[in-house]
Amino acid sequence: MAAVSRRVRVSLVEAAGPGGRDAAEIDPDADEAPPASRTAIVAPLTAGRDGRSRVEVVVDGWRFELVVEDAARAELRRRATREEDAAAADGPAEIRAIIPGRVAAVRVVAGDAVEAGRTLLIVEAMKMQNELRAPRAGTVERVAVGEGQTIENGDVLVVLR
Amino acid sequence: MTDAPARSTDASGRPSLRKDGGARRPPFTRLLVANRGEIAVRVFRACREMGIETVAVFSDADVTAGHVRAADRAVRLGPAPAGESYLRGDAIVAAALETGAEAIHPGYGFLAERASFAAAVDAAGLTFIGPASGTIAALGDKLAARRSATAAGVPVVPGTLEPAPIDRPDQVDAVIASAESVGFPLLVKAAAGGGGRGMRRVDDAAGLPAALDAAAAEARAAFGDGSVYLEREIRPARHIEVQLLGDRAGAVVALGERDCSLQRRHQKLVEEAPAPGLTRDERRDLHEMAVRVAQAAGLESAATAEFLLDDDRRFWFLEVNTRLQVEHGVTELVADLDLVREQILIAAGEPLSAIVLGAAERATEPERHAIEVRLSAEDPARDFIPMPGVIGDWRMPSGPGVRVDTAAAAGDRVPPEYDPLVAKILVVDADRDRALDRLARALAETEVSGIQTTLPFHRHMAVDPGFRAGPLPIDWVDEHWAEALRPRREAALEAARWAAAAAVANIPARSTALTLDGSTPWIRAGRQRAIERWPR
Repeated sequence: MAAVSRRVRVSLVEAAGPGGRDAAEIDPDADEAPPASRTAIVAPLTAGRDGRSRVEVVVDGWRFELVVEDAARAELRRRATREEDAAAADGPAEIRAIIPGRVAAVRVVAGDAVEAGRTLLIVEAMKMQNELRAPRAGTVERVAVGEGQTIENGDVLVVLR
Repeated sequence: MTDAPARSTDASGRPSLRKDGGARRPPFTRLLVANRGEIAVRVFRACREMGIETVAVFSDADVTAGHVRAADRAVRLGPAPAGESYLRGDAIVAAALETGAEAIHPGYGFLAERASFAAAVDAAGLTFIGPASGTIAALGDKLAARRSATAAGVPVVPGTLEPAPIDRPDQVDAVIASAESVGFPLLVKAAAGGGGRGMRRVDDAAGLPAALDAAAAEARAAFGDGSVYLEREIRPARHIEVQLLGDRAGAVVALGERDCSLQRRHQKLVEEAPAPGLTRDERRDLHEMAVRVAQAAGLESAATAEFLLDDDRRFWFLEVNTRLQVEHGVTELVADLDLVREQILIAAGEPLSAIVLGAAERATEPERHAIEVRLSAEDPARDFIPMPGVIGDWRMPSGPGVRVDTAAAAGDRVPPEYDPLVAKILVVDADRDRALDRLARALAETEVSGIQTTLPFHRHMAVDPGFRAGPLPIDWVDEHWAEALRPRREAALEAARWAAAAAVANIPARSTALTLDGSTPWIRAGRQRAIERWPR
């Protein structure tokens, strides 16, 4: 029986943030494991019938949510969506909530032209007020929330175009 | 044994009130804690040891929270927002009356420094565990405290002594003029503030109006009072504070100082006692200044006087917090006493105990070193933004010289409505070097999943050569952490990818004691997990 490659593509659910690439390919049978001697906590989050497994891993106190997918299959999907992605770069930008909380103030309305860094919303979470700023210049297409509204992780707040 | 035994004495030589070997009668039958989380549990522990029954209060976000589980009884206050629950003094007093609690401990935050609440507790015929409402008003209002310290001859941080007229558009020029005379950069601070809430840093006059508005809005939301004032930002500086305890007869003592310089967004991250590098004389002068400020205000119960130490080794008075501090535990470990127990005894009318007086005498020559880290549900890679969620695994450290104050457990929800602090991890040892070694060991035992915590930051600090060499200035985290975190996080991410790949591939080899039992764990429901060393 021929050995089947188990090479997988492992991607972060959110942007990698400081010090990290979003995705990497790993063959757990063949490649050398990194020389870390840390405790890892691994927990399956969803089993994904589409062949993509979502996993939580905590290493050295850092928590990551990762999607693991067969590398060949990931490549196919990537090609299929590339044209779509290219269109999206100039298209609308959705600004989503990264923390649950409450909208303390809305500083823009649809139609406003904004510079990069302009405050769009103030979100109150755990008693701290956090300013949410425009990631790039553009025009506000839609403000999806109102003052006083409770928001959850991932909710669309403002759409820029 | 005699029929009428002479009154025995305890270890400190003070006559014991124990009679015939029976348990001492508790000063209160039942006590309510007007707070949540770890501090409520902390107070309940002292109550348990003193034979006092405990009452918790809770919001709809905390129905099954740790502090509710830890109490003998619990009373619902209202919906999740603090304004409709933990800040409702009327509902809390009613809960105490309804449950027969005789005393209310406010913890820290929420109503702890609201004079009107202390007065309402008194008016209801109950005992407030803390300073008298008049003292809270005099010291808790930072502007009043600055005026009072000035009158007592204690140097205060330069700035304004009256609230900024933020609601008067015609006064904008006057505010900018006083800001110019204080000097930029400066801080806009809430008169009623604390814990960094209602505080904004301003670099120039252009940024002042927005900062005033933001600070006032945050202060109004958090404290119900939007008064703000201006204060020069002294940099570089260390944040050093003195633990005070006073009794009803007017005696006030200092129980040592804490260094809380490691901060981020004006929130303390690490605290230690004693403050490293102070001479005995500096320590004595500092404690004496703190006692003078407290005595002028007639302090009863626990309070903390905060100072900045500048590069010229001058102390500048900042404010007095008329409550138990989050970081009171490091002082307890060094001074070897229980501040909550002493607060309760003082509230019952007792004079400062022999234990307290003995600790005060030794306070200028501390013989141990304690460090606390605040484990919070925040992302240290993204500017320490709060990251509420549901705790998965929860392993806290233990062993010699380790103390953990927490209300959390596996499966608990960390609600977005409140402070993200989930646990305080404290260590104590003979000196600072050994305490840091112990801290590194304790943090290596600590594991949390489900939420991102500040654990990576604390692990880094425990072994950072700069921190080991001595205390770091207040701005250290802002200036250095963003760079320091990269290599650690990158290495963790690489290992995490491997752990994920191996777990999904279900590899039963040495590298993956990560799957459960060789079956396919991925189709199981829930959050079943495997925890092992990775890689070996």
